[in-house]
Amino acid sequence: MKTIIYTCPYVPAEWIAAHGLRPSRIIPDAAGSTGPVVPIEGVCPYVRGFVNEVITGTQASAVVVTTVCDQMRRAFDIVVRKGKLAAFLMNVPSTWQSVAAQKLYLDELKRLGRFLIGLGGESPSTDALVKIMLEYDTARTSILAARGYLTSRRYSEAIARFNRDGKSGITRDITDKKPLTDGIPLLIIGGPLLREDFEILDVVENSGGRIVLDATETGERGMCAKFDRRRLRDDPLMELANAYFGGIQDAFRRPNSELYNWLKREIAARGARGIVFHRYVWCDIWHAELRRLKDCIDLPVLDIDTAGDNETYKHRTENRIRVFLEMLQ
Amino acid sequence: MSNTPKQITLQEWDQRYEQLQRAGMHQPDYGGPLGRHVEDGDYRLLKLRYDNSAAALRLWNFLLTEEQRLYQARTRGKKIVGTMKDLGTVPVMAYSLDNLVAFYPDGAWWIPCVMELSAGLLSIADSLGIDESFCPVRAMLGAFVTGAHFPIPDLLTCSVGATCDDFSAIAQRLNSLGYPILWWEIPHRRSPEHNEPAVKLPGGFSAPKCQVEFVKSQLELVKTALEELAGESLDEKKLSAGIQKANQVRAYLAELRQLAFTAKVCPLPALEMLVAEMLAIHFCSDRDETVIVLKELVGEVRSRVKAGKGVLAADAARIFWVNPVADLQVMNLLEDCGGRICGTEYLFSHALDTIPEDLPPTEALARIALADPMVGSSVDRAERICTDIRRFGSEAVLLSRIPGASHCALEGEVITEVVQANVDIPVLEIEVPPVTDSIRPTLRTRLEALVETVIERRKR
Repeated sequence: MKTIIYTCPYVPAEWIAAHGLRPSRIIPDAAGSTGPVVPIEGVCPYVRGFVNEVITGTQASAVVVTTVCDQMRRAFDIVVRKGKLAAFLMNVPSTWQSVAAQKLYLDELKRLGRFLIGLGGESPSTDALVKIMLEYDTARTSILAARGYLTSRRYSEAIARFNRDGKSGITRDITDKKPLTDGIPLLIIGGPLLREDFEILDVVENSGGRIVLDATETGERGMCAKFDRRRLRDDPLMELANAYFGGIQDAFRRPNSELYNWLKREIAARGARGIVFHRYVWCDIWHAELRRLKDCIDLPVLDIDTAGDNETYKHRTENRIRVFLEMLQ
Repeated sequence: MSNTPKQITLQEWDQRYEQLQRAGMHQPDYGGPLGRHVEDGDYRLLKLRYDNSAAALRLWNFLLTEEQRLYQARTRGKKIVGTMKDLGTVPVMAYSLDNLVAFYPDGAWWIPCVMELSAGLLSIADSLGIDESFCPVRAMLGAFVTGAHFPIPDLLTCSVGATCDDFSAIAQRLNSLGYPILWWEIPHRRSPEHNEPAVKLPGGFSAPKCQVEFVKSQLELVKTALEELAGESLDEKKLSAGIQKANQVRAYLAELRQLAFTAKVCPLPALEMLVAEMLAIHFCSDRDETVIVLKELVGEVRSRVKAGKGVLAADAARIFWVNPVADLQVMNLLEDCGGRICGTEYLFSHALDTIPEDLPPTEALARIALADPMVGSSVDRAERICTDIRRFGSEAVLLSRIPGASHCALEGEVITEVVQANVDIPVLEIEVPPVTDSIRPTLRTRLEALVETVIERRKR
């Protein structure tokens, strides 16, 4: 089965799977100094890691890139020029309050469908799409139900594994039925994590904290809303679009007030006492939210900026997390 | 009194001004000696060199009095529209209504340069969490907070979608500080698919018809907001008349560029050309006066070209400049190093293209908005640059990176590859912060090297 890789949460895995292809939302490694995109000032480490993985990797048949950030939009040019994979750039509107923006997203899904058929995919029947959406919804539900029973890292990795393979694998992970309650409850928020960044979750736990909400793009925040079963049977593609475009809150949206509304609700529900704000150097979209977050949310915020592949950054991050948690003790 | 074209300092301009006054030069109400603007804190003016024509004087005075013009407009009861991240589309709509004036708040990015960082706008941006890792356009935040550089607009619009992250993030920050913004979406321009209805855009790109329709729907939202603000309907007749006026500006600029970039001897310096091109974006808050300013400038350049006179050596290296500079002095520096500008892509080539007059006006504007070189791929932009390189006979490309700008990180490599593959001329990339004094020797060395390379290649 052909594999279609992507990294943006607004690309619905169900839509790719319904075309008879294998969706895989990848998490790149921090790229070193080798690869087509070398470390240069201004380039976001995540974008660099993604481009280098897409260009040098050989496992996939195609890649889907979206327009949610300008660097990723421009990285598409490099993927097309230097890579061998078939590539698709999907317009994900920044605005979301108008019917026109919602329709644009839906039209882009249909265009993605034509691209997938061009790769050898099958035009999905309504029944096939409904079946796959239900499978994914069930898997997502089982992952969400495991929250609180797994360590922070294992939970976030379970989400990442689901995004990569479409399987929850969660039953194997729950070995202890008692919910975990030790540690100071924190949330982590930001863009996507690189593979190496998952270590941060261990550092938090080893320093006396516990992540009660992974609001990074690779975590819970990057999961679509639960499907409405009635609407799903009436018009599954529309429901898919609603759950993704309407259900995932992100800093890039204009306005992005819904991100803060979501965050306030989740903080209240989960009792977080502090925020780890994770951002990459040169990621303007998230960087600009840092001060606003501090102004809007009445919790201590730790700013973790990282260049992705630097040992110095790593040690600094560890120390900063430890001090942050000492402060919260 | 000598009328030989040349570049002069600000001090020399004040003497020249007296001479022109004595010779009976006509001045508009915003006229006067250039030196007076330094009293407003525009210290960078002391370090620039200017064209010595009366037309250039009028251009500079027009530029440097925009703030007063906006306040006067408000006093006269006009409503003010701030058109953010919009290079020449919404202003055409706004100026089609009698009681609206549009301006470009992003233009505040030049304040740190012109005032040599004395206004403290970047420090204010820092304090709001927008530090030096962002494009210098962050100065706009400070300008809003201080309210000292332009009146706070009655309506703020901002295009988002296929725009740079810096500006989108800064505009969102502004919004979070309590400034309401009407966001409108400009999607990434893509190539039409096989058998998909397509539209040829001004400037040569093409786009799927559905994208034009989408942008049209977004401009309709903007139009409604403008109508509400103006208390007046913006019908097709008014909008068509507004488009015709905008095209008058664009026609003068087209002639100016053709003359200045192709003349044997450069008839107008790079700095004045840059300022003139910028007028296309929002008419410097007075559309009718823009037409007069450009008409005079074109007249001056026509006469210089006819006489074979200019401001630079005839063998100056013919440079195509990509992206605007945050420090205006760098345009002088290129000329000091033996270069001249023969072609530009300052991020808004589409604002120089003629807006179609044979289409329904909103559709024509939607096509122009989608023709923006920055909303498509860097390859598209590079190909447009190549077309202009051939047209103007440029001998090298200077890619001027804007510090922190999201598009600059990756586009340089693509543009370089496409230019070298298509037109085989040297490309140099530099980075220009708002004040370049500390890196001037390095910049000079790099520019000199580029000029020398061009001169050497002529011997082939």
